[in-house]
Amino acid sequence: MILHTLNALPSSAAFGDCLKLLQPGDAVVLLGDGVYAALEDTSPCDELRATGVELFILQADALLAGIDRPAEGCNSIGMDELVALTERFPRQLAWY
Amino acid sequence: MIYSLLVLSSPASGHGSRTGAEFARSVIARGHSIHRVFFLDAGTLTGSCNSVFPQDESDPALAWEALHREHAVELVLCISSALRYGMLDETEATRYERPSASINPAFTVSGLGQLVDACAHSDRLITFGG
Repeated sequence: MILHTLNALPSSAAFGDCLKLLQPGDAVVLLGDGVYAALEDTSPCDELRATGVELFILQADALLAGIDRPAEGCNSIGMDELVALTERFPRQLAWY
Repeated sequence: MIYSLLVLSSPASGHGSRTGAEFARSVIARGHSIHRVFFLDAGTLTGSCNSVFPQDESDPALAWEALHREHAVELVLCISSALRYGMLDETEATRYERPSASINPAFTVSGLGQLVDACAHSDRLITFGG
């Protein structure tokens, strides 16, 4: 079980590489440039959801990007919840 | 739990460095400890004492400095990255005959071994890039 922190535009190689490595039981946190993958009705968002992993978005970064309503299935979290995820997942992979 | 952080983000672009500092504060608030924060590549620019940010932007270095002051969080800049980016402490400025040091005193410079040590002594290593 890996916690993936995805700070890369959906058009980037890092985003595609992350998608390929996602496994059931993993979780993804969208932050920085990665928040654009939480836009509803976009293929990056659909591809992420199709993996079946738990999906989160760092609320502060989403708001900075003008995303006040992330796509369905993408849970907004604050910093405390991000720390809680790192307590739950022993390993993190940072994509950027 | 014991945490260490690896920061690769430049303070001048993206949110990585600022997010890392906020994460560190939350880690402490939740009762964990931070063994070390290691800054690598462009992340070492966080330790500059010469950066000046526009008045309407926050300087991530201030957030890290506050963590060091309030919670004695160890802030270490990778020495090879730091030198490449022109980040020198007094010792290195003298060694390489540069006119002055350029590192905030809250930060120290050291080798990659400090990152390996941080991994060995921490339950979690969390990376902030981008």
